[in-house]
Amino acid sequence: MSFDIMLHTPTFALAVPLLFAFLTILLSKFSKKVGDVTFLLGLLLTGYFVFLMSYRIFTDGGWVYTFGAEEPITLNFFRITFIADGFAALATITIAITAIAAGIYSFGYLQKKMPSDKFYTLFLLTLGGVNGMVLTGDLFNLFVWFEVTSVASCALIAYENHRGRSVEAALKYMVLSVVGGLIVLFSIGLLYGQYGVLNYALLSGNISRIFLDKLALGLLLVIFAMKASSVPMHMWAPDAYGEAPGPATPFIAITSLGSLFVLFRLLFGVFGVGMDTAAVGAVLVILGVLSMFVGVTMALVQDDLKRLIAYLSVSQVGYMTMAVGVGLATLNTVEYQNFGELAMKGGFFHMINDGVYKALLFLSAVTVVHKTDLRSLNDLGGLAHKMPYTTVFFLVGAVSIAGIPPMSGFSSKLLIYRSVYLYNPILAVIALVVSIITFAIMGKVFFNAFLGPDQGLTDGEVSKLMLSGMAILTAMVIVFTLFPGLVVSELVTPAIEALSEGVIP
Amino acid sequence: MTLESILMTLPYITVVVLFSLGLFTVLFKKNLIKIIMGIALMQNGANLFLVSLAYRRGDYAPIFTSAESTDMVMPTAHALTLTSIVIGVATTALLLSFVIMIKKHYGSINTDDVRRCKE
Amino acid sequence: MNWKMSRIVRTVTNFLVVPIVIFGIYLILHGHLTPGGGFQGGAVVASATALLIIAYGSLGRHKKDFSTVEAIGLILFISIALLGIGSTMFYNFLAGTGGIFGGSVEGINPGYINTGGTVTLMNLAVGIEVSAALSLILWMMSKETGIMEPEKKTSTTGSEEVED
Repeated sequence: MSFDIMLHTPTFALAVPLLFAFLTILLSKFSKKVGDVTFLLGLLLTGYFVFLMSYRIFTDGGWVYTFGAEEPITLNFFRITFIADGFAALATITIAITAIAAGIYSFGYLQKKMPSDKFYTLFLLTLGGVNGMVLTGDLFNLFVWFEVTSVASCALIAYENHRGRSVEAALKYMVLSVVGGLIVLFSIGLLYGQYGVLNYALLSGNISRIFLDKLALGLLLVIFAMKASSVPMHMWAPDAYGEAPGPATPFIAITSLGSLFVLFRLLFGVFGVGMDTAAVGAVLVILGVLSMFVGVTMALVQDDLKRLIAYLSVSQVGYMTMAVGVGLATLNTVEYQNFGELAMKGGFFHMINDGVYKALLFLSAVTVVHKTDLRSLNDLGGLAHKMPYTTVFFLVGAVSIAGIPPMSGFSSKLLIYRSVYLYNPILAVIALVVSIITFAIMGKVFFNAFLGPDQGLTDGEVSKLMLSGMAILTAMVIVFTLFPGLVVSELVTPAIEALSEGVIP
Repeated sequence: MTLESILMTLPYITVVVLFSLGLFTVLFKKNLIKIIMGIALMQNGANLFLVSLAYRRGDYAPIFTSAESTDMVMPTAHALTLTSIVIGVATTALLLSFVIMIKKHYGSINTDDVRRCKE
Repeated sequence: MNWKMSRIVRTVTNFLVVPIVIFGIYLILHGHLTPGGGFQGGAVVASATALLIIAYGSLGRHKKDFSTVEAIGLILFISIALLGIGSTMFYNFLAGTGGIFGGSVEGINPGYINTGGTVTLMNLAVGIEVSAALSLILWMMSKETGIMEPEKKTSTTGSEEVED
């Protein structure tokens, strides 16, 4: 029996965060330094296993990992499986990059402010939960990791429990998440009761268009879109992003990105063959357009820095939803070759872009709030004099989110405009208008907060650790800027092929 | 509508009643503790739904010790229900801790008073 | 205010705590034969803690150990799962081998505890973890809401966040 460590990497991508979460809280009882080192080790090991898994997927193709069987690759109907294909590789790479950057940032942030061992535990638990959500191939396992993620991220939002607002925001998000989880459980019960199997691959062969399946599809679509902060279920997003403690803010963004990944996996993998793809794609397009528009309109009137970026994040989710909706609507038709596949490429490229630059924007906003203790744009000003590095990082993120050439946001948005125009010209026009308004908002924020005469709000730059966290993300944005073609052909295309061919049995 | 068919669908009718009562409580009540109770009702409804899905006529409970015969109900749904109960305990504990914290900071647990986030 | 309850309640608690814990351990160990298992047994053991908190108003010297025990329980669980990595994770490498919990099952029998394999070990780990975690939750909640005697101030970290 040959022991191939590469085949086992999906479980390590899941087990290492969970193990190190509890090792951190155990070892930090001895000394604080040991706890910090354990946290960092856990993060880096997770990243290492994720990259190992992706390397194996890109060179050799995907596989299915069965838990508790004799061999890792066994076809078994009753065991829990993990699917490691191009889509899972794309998702876990995005999550790992952002988690490592946010983790290094939180290292510097938490040195003085609060007791940090529980923060690290909750951080690693959330990371393990999101990894489990995108990797799993079994419906009930999805529910388990969904709940783990929502519990851990809500506890993370309420971490600064000496402020009443954090706990209130966490309560609102938690009630929504728990009710959503129960509705997901209900629809999983519907599917299980009819077909008796919970595996994605087996279920996709059996799904048809009877009423109960359509009901399950609708419920799952709504709840995962709610988790991904798409309109009209986005009410929790400004409160949750705005009140989360510093380094946890990009992590809430990671959970919403993970839910979006899971939504696409479900729509293509489980329901793909049996449902009316044109209708569901049209629903996704409508949700996307609404999110784009409402997100950017609400961001115009905000003067709280973090809430503004939260509304912009809602509108970016709309871009992704719309692009993948166009791809889904044209699946299995001739138009897919023309523009559907291009739309999917744009959508997925936008997802990995957005994960990186949104985290960068949130981290620089958190730096500003942390250093000056001010949150409103009316009070901020002239920060570029004393905080040059933060200004540059924020500028990179702002240019990227506005979709201005040559930054990476422009590449993905160009793909989206070109393909969506062929589907329906009005959508491309709306996307362009939203992008222009985003540019205007980002310009206003940048000029207000960073340029202008020095008002003496801050006394210098933040610590090196926080800067290095943001620098990692900036480096990734620049890499995506310089090599967009490489990213699309290496990372995104395997993901699309894995999705549109259905799940590996 | 024979008696047998009504008896067979009675668990599902109970599930719908429990779920909608819980949903009504979460949506329309103002006291935070009542909202959490509504969530608990919904959890019970979902668990009952999962257990009642697994039943087949004439089969026994899947306990191996001194069983009557080996015609047993397949226990997959029971395992799912158990997991769901555990998750319910965890989320209820976290929600109740949030309510304790809110009472400490705001002084009341009425949702009309707990609304500082928009200022 | 006197935080303890009356003498009758305290005496009955003294009698009852041990059978409750033993019953909980029985549920944990027989998880693969009768309804029970890690979570159920752990919850029963945690109810003994609830009884102690209400009857006595404090937990004495043993409060700091809960989170350590919880972390140890979970690390044990994941370690036993990872031990089967020769085949896959969570592989039951003790079943039918004649080792600690190995043993074979034939037909319908009164049920021997020896046949569980890694299931029994994992039940134990989960039972330890759940009882410690639920006791920790109960202790922290009662500290906040004031049904427990306030402790002498030894550290000033304020109230700690409850985690799972």
